[in-house]
Amino acid sequence: MTKQITNIRIGIYLCDCDGKVSKKVDLQKAKTVIQSQADFDYIRATDVLCGKVEKEKIGAEIDKYSLNRLVIAACVDSFIMRQFLQLADEKGINRYNVEFVDLGAVDSTGAAVAAANNALGKMRLRAEIGYEELAVTPDVLVIGAGSEAAAAATTIAKSQPVVQIDNVGTRMIGLDGFPGAFTVRLLENGQAVKKDFGAIVLALGAVPQYDKSKYGGIELGADILSLSQFVNSGKDYAGKKVSFALGKADADSLLSFAAVLKAALGLKGKGASEVNVLYEDMKVCADDLEQDYELARKKGVNFLKYTGEFQIVRFPSGIAFKYREPFLSDPVKIVADYIVLAEEFVPAAATLELAEILDIRTGPGGFFQKDNVHFLPIKSNRAGIFFVGSCHGPIHGTDLYNEIEAVVAEVSAFAKGKVSVPSLQPKVEAEKCAVCLTCYRCCPHHAIEIVHGEAYNNMYNSAARMNPLACQRCGVCASECPGKAIQLPLYSDQEILVEVKQPARIVAYACENSGFLASEFAKTLDPELQKDVQIVEVPCSGKIDIIYLLKALENGADGVMLCVCHKENCKFVWGNNRAEQRKERAQKILNQIGLGERIDFVHVAANQGNQFNTAVKAMAEKIRQSGTNPGKVVK
Amino acid sequence: MIVAEGKPVEKILEMIAPYKKVLIAGCRGCVTVCLTGGEKEVGILASQIRMARSKDGNPIEVLEQTEERQCDAEYNAKFLENVGKVDAIMSLACGIGIQYLGEKYPLTPIYPGVNTLMLGANIDVGKWEERCFACGDCVLDKTGGICPIARCSKSLLNGPCGGSQNGKCEVSAPTKEDVSCGWQLIYDRLVALGQVDKLKEVIPAKNWLRAKGPRTYVREDLTLDRS
Repeated sequence: MTKQITNIRIGIYLCDCDGKVSKKVDLQKAKTVIQSQADFDYIRATDVLCGKVEKEKIGAEIDKYSLNRLVIAACVDSFIMRQFLQLADEKGINRYNVEFVDLGAVDSTGAAVAAANNALGKMRLRAEIGYEELAVTPDVLVIGAGSEAAAAATTIAKSQPVVQIDNVGTRMIGLDGFPGAFTVRLLENGQAVKKDFGAIVLALGAVPQYDKSKYGGIELGADILSLSQFVNSGKDYAGKKVSFALGKADADSLLSFAAVLKAALGLKGKGASEVNVLYEDMKVCADDLEQDYELARKKGVNFLKYTGEFQIVRFPSGIAFKYREPFLSDPVKIVADYIVLAEEFVPAAATLELAEILDIRTGPGGFFQKDNVHFLPIKSNRAGIFFVGSCHGPIHGTDLYNEIEAVVAEVSAFAKGKVSVPSLQPKVEAEKCAVCLTCYRCCPHHAIEIVHGEAYNNMYNSAARMNPLACQRCGVCASECPGKAIQLPLYSDQEILVEVKQPARIVAYACENSGFLASEFAKTLDPELQKDVQIVEVPCSGKIDIIYLLKALENGADGVMLCVCHKENCKFVWGNNRAEQRKERAQKILNQIGLGERIDFVHVAANQGNQFNTAVKAMAEKIRQSGTNPGKVVK
Repeated sequence: MIVAEGKPVEKILEMIAPYKKVLIAGCRGCVTVCLTGGEKEVGILASQIRMARSKDGNPIEVLEQTEERQCDAEYNAKFLENVGKVDAIMSLACGIGIQYLGEKYPLTPIYPGVNTLMLGANIDVGKWEERCFACGDCVLDKTGGICPIARCSKSLLNGPCGGSQNGKCEVSAPTKEDVSCGWQLIYDRLVALGQVDKLKEVIPAKNWLRAKGPRTYVREDLTLDRS
């Protein structure tokens, strides 16, 4: 749990990086200015901070001055960070109490002082982060009946207990609780039962479905089969001519191609007289497919490329494909005894129902998971609920096994029945919590519960609580709370607002998943442009509270930007939508009092440094038109 | 819950125009729950007022304080220190809280920062609907648990009227909102409950005196003799 901040002792170290920093920054002067302005317990500037001797020296200083928080101002890279986090661990300093300032990225003494003071201010305000030991259920529920579910269940069972249900005989009807401690409500032979699981793996697979509209109305029959009919027929095709058609209904799938290759090789092995595969685009982008394709060709399977529509024509002695070959002028006719048509893959019947029960999203084609660049393939919007295989879009072969391994890596964290996690989830000040359910409803991750007890010091004896395993730290709850009862550790209102106490001309609140990275890139493209811009990093644009926008302006900024992920591509589902709604309201608030257009909402991806700079230029132009912010409050 | 909406800021600025130092008083009760007058909105309004007055070259000092409930004297006592520092109070509590806080500090002018709208339910984040009129004479037993006073535009006791079309009330069109016909809801619920016969009973005219103020409510069994 969060401890009260008591007896904070901060040490700040300034590193010249062997003369690199002093090319732009007068380090001694910076040290003197910081000494005169900021609140800390020990300061030292040195030529090179990253070395064994320095490490020992700093260790001794930590002891001598009883330092428990560190600010490291240096050319920050992963080496430096690792070194100091390791030192912190050795010295018993919580690693969340080490803050880094990148002197490699500043270009003046003033900027270095401002950055260091910022970090010192934040360190002073930072709540102590503790660790929580939690008991968890190792058992994993795998939902699905097919080969994908079986493969997942077998693999997970090597590390912990697994229950597999087909969701037909035994159906899931409800879910309570949090990762590590889910209570699943099941309908078992008509009886409602409750069972505890630590994690849930959805492996429903995908279902082939013949849709005649994709084939110009061709009806299936004795000699025209769908691919799954053919695979399941078990008939002897020795001496027969079989032609497969791919690409009409299964354009995005490797599954049919893999199935056709397997069937074609089987047919050749069992003495079919002719095997043809009509295709539009060859799909071999999985480990074994290219190999099978080569093998099939060697064994005499004919691969025939078509273009446009094809027809199936019937004549007294049989049927034939009639199609256009891209390089031949006349249509080609291929006579066959059997024609096999690939189907499209659709989500399993239970997909939508389970999506509703679990409150997870479906996306393209009705499969699980939204089309969002930030979502890892196996992850849903809820921690502890995973996807494996074709239930989130048809996948094949090694992709499946990669996913299973990834899921095992996740769920095996619960295998020992307990976990230790840093207590980084938002904290609720019960006295201010009105138990209004706003956070509960706005949480994209089902991470919030209302808890009751004498300890909750308000008229309801209740408060919201964020589950440390379910919470993904977007901070949406904190920004939505009407009572200001919620604070996200490392990004509390205090820690963020201290950064805009004396803001730059433009303050850009930037999501660390997109806008912040774009701003880092932008600096390298046009350093001059960034002089008037102050970046304030947030974990998600959903953390950008409306008061952050107003306070930046009240304190003297001329314009404020929100640099957020692209639409439908928020890592935390709807953080960027909430941010956009808040921007609209904040701009309205400015319009009401005649302050003009001063807030810009910018969708920008991590690699769009140029777009970031274009947005900065647009903001600067907007400010030029609106003039200096007349709302600045002189204190 | 009591549901309120923020007053237009130009009205608020007009009210506090003569003052140089004001207290914005929030409430952690209903107006926090309906996202109108909790600590967050107090902060937003304070910031807006400061910027507006700065812009007009007439700076103002704005204090912010939010307490448990402005409809209880004990909580209102907590505002004492700040009230002593300001020229006026801008309360973001409901009409009850605004008046009750004002009664506590009769020498400091108090102004409403919100319009108190209704007794409503929170349908979803940012959506509220009226459910009760506080008429003082509940008829929910006769109407399938759906209030004809609050949910029929005409508060008819024996409805629906001719303005009910496809389950919607005729006021829907001009207000551009989809207003359900309260009596259609009552009928549907009674059908579902198998109690549609209840509609044969004519509900007699109501004693509207109970809906008219000023109302008081005293529980003799609970009143405390402090003598």
